[in-house]
Amino acid sequence: MSSTKDFIIEQLKQEISDYKSEITEKSVGKVLKIADGIALVSGLSEAMMSEILKFKTDTGEISGVVLNLEENQVGAIILGDYTAIKEGDEVSATKRILEVPVGEALVGRVVNPLGEPLDGQGKIEASKFYPIEKIAPGVITRAPVKEPVQTGVKAVDAMIPIGRGQRELIIGDRQLGKTALAIDTIINQKGQNMKCIYVAIGQKESKVAGIVSKLTEAGAMDYTTIVLAGASTPASLLYIAPYAGCAMAEYFLDKGEDVLIIYDDLSKHAVSYREISLLLRRPPGREAYPGDVFYLHSRLLERACKLNKDFGGGSITALPIIETQAGDLSAYIPTNVISITDGQIFLEPEMFYKGNRPAINAGLSVSRVGSSAQIKAMKKVAGKMRLEAAQYRELAAFAQFGSDLDPDTKRKLERGQRLYEIFKQDQYQPLSVSKQVVIYYALINGFLDDVPVEKVREFEAGLYEYADRNNVVLKAIETKKELDEGVEAGVKKLLGDYKETVDYLIK
Amino acid sequence: MKVTPRQYARSLYESLSDKKGPELKAVLGRFVRLIGERRELGKAVAIIEAFREIWESEEGELAAELVTARKLTAAGREVSAYLKDRTGAKEVDLRENVNPELIGGFILRYRDKVLDASLKNTLENLQNKLGS
Repeated sequence: MSSTKDFIIEQLKQEISDYKSEITEKSVGKVLKIADGIALVSGLSEAMMSEILKFKTDTGEISGVVLNLEENQVGAIILGDYTAIKEGDEVSATKRILEVPVGEALVGRVVNPLGEPLDGQGKIEASKFYPIEKIAPGVITRAPVKEPVQTGVKAVDAMIPIGRGQRELIIGDRQLGKTALAIDTIINQKGQNMKCIYVAIGQKESKVAGIVSKLTEAGAMDYTTIVLAGASTPASLLYIAPYAGCAMAEYFLDKGEDVLIIYDDLSKHAVSYREISLLLRRPPGREAYPGDVFYLHSRLLERACKLNKDFGGGSITALPIIETQAGDLSAYIPTNVISITDGQIFLEPEMFYKGNRPAINAGLSVSRVGSSAQIKAMKKVAGKMRLEAAQYRELAAFAQFGSDLDPDTKRKLERGQRLYEIFKQDQYQPLSVSKQVVIYYALINGFLDDVPVEKVREFEAGLYEYADRNNVVLKAIETKKELDEGVEAGVKKLLGDYKETVDYLIK
Repeated sequence: MKVTPRQYARSLYESLSDKKGPELKAVLGRFVRLIGERRELGKAVAIIEAFREIWESEEGELAAELVTARKLTAAGREVSAYLKDRTGAKEVDLRENVNPELIGGFILRYRDKVLDASLKNTLENLQNKLGS
């Protein structure tokens, strides 16, 4: 017995001596210069890139991140109130790369880019931390994009379909509904097995508060996390915000779930990175952006992916948003991000002011991988519909000479007008894919030809209501996902029956 | 081209490497005149600081500071031996200071490293751990 006691005591002694050796050497340095959220620190000869630094100040510790490694000094961005730091303050290295809390605890919360709560709903108990910078999954781990993301926006789901794991850019001038499109997409993810992360970069906090209340109202906060770096936060936090959001998404990816992440918007992110770079005295390039501004966005968007079964089969779908100045698509940042993403949704002021909202320009918008992700039923109707849309765009210029045209052209114009009526959709009113299939089916098969153009929307709304009452057809589309003969007959009957009930048809 | 204090110090160290006595003095005189002509005497303090660092790293000297709560007698030699072993320095220039605020233990500072084994720090860490 006593040998056991001796053994335990021996072990205890060992533990105690091990505990003492926990005191380890720390690398320390001194603040040489501090201004505009950037600190130059001497010493720290073993500092790593994007390592967390602790600045000791009179009011407590403030964190910073290493961004520049030079021969005798280290450049760091301050995550917090840099005015408390003084020249000569002690800085110690932590040997940890910047990381954020991740996990289920973040769902339904509004957090800052460091994962700290901003919504006043108490502490976030996260069990795991993920590094904010991570190399994107490689080729071996990936699978082709083939499952759809239903945005609930008619024009997008039919013409510019988005797949799970795709990166689709939303681009356009200010106030054209870029964020609205993204928010509608989040709202439509209810019951679609999708976690959503909305990263607000440099947005007005009032706007984000509006978004949060809208999402709560729609019940979308149950699966959504909002990462907020508002317009008044320092550039350092704006810069890390999208990476932090992506790290939070990667947690669900590793669990094999599907995630939708929205970066709103990357032009402000580039501007904040330009600010940091210039303050760190990196050489400016075109439009004063640093040389690695392309890598800034490519490494972020490359982390969106669809993993194959062996690696869990999860996906991250990214919807980056870019704000253009006066519709200039050929500026530096827009061209960069267009070239990185798998397609773009281009919003246009002309469309917007003509009343076509969402103001999607069907000609300039493309989706390079999403069409393989559409459900069969949608593919069947969208193919023909896209043809109609293209023909209408070609002829639209002649629309004003209505009377002098041959009957075939006239017919195409009439149908195109109705198509553009169908594209119109109110905000926060996402539409299920089965209803979209029905209305497009009606259009391409001439069921709308005798509905006056100005009555199309009324007809549409009534049709959905009618279809909801005889739910069989919609259910059939949703379960079978294709338009076989039986379903098609059902749709035809539904449309015929509904048209009996309306009284404004052109005789 | 702008020459940094470090570059000045490095070139001074190299030009002094095989000089002795009067030769050494002559080189120093010429060095100061050069800096004067280039109107960079304002950098003198930084150059001296850099020179000290370069000299120490090249000659295997190490300046270190040991802070303890009470005056210790034999600790200096042990610490010097530890530092020699750890950094490969040939000579250790150890300054010993006393600071009763540490309560117990010691703080060792050399180059950009700090080994904080003071009781005060341990207590603070414990407090942080218990507080969170």
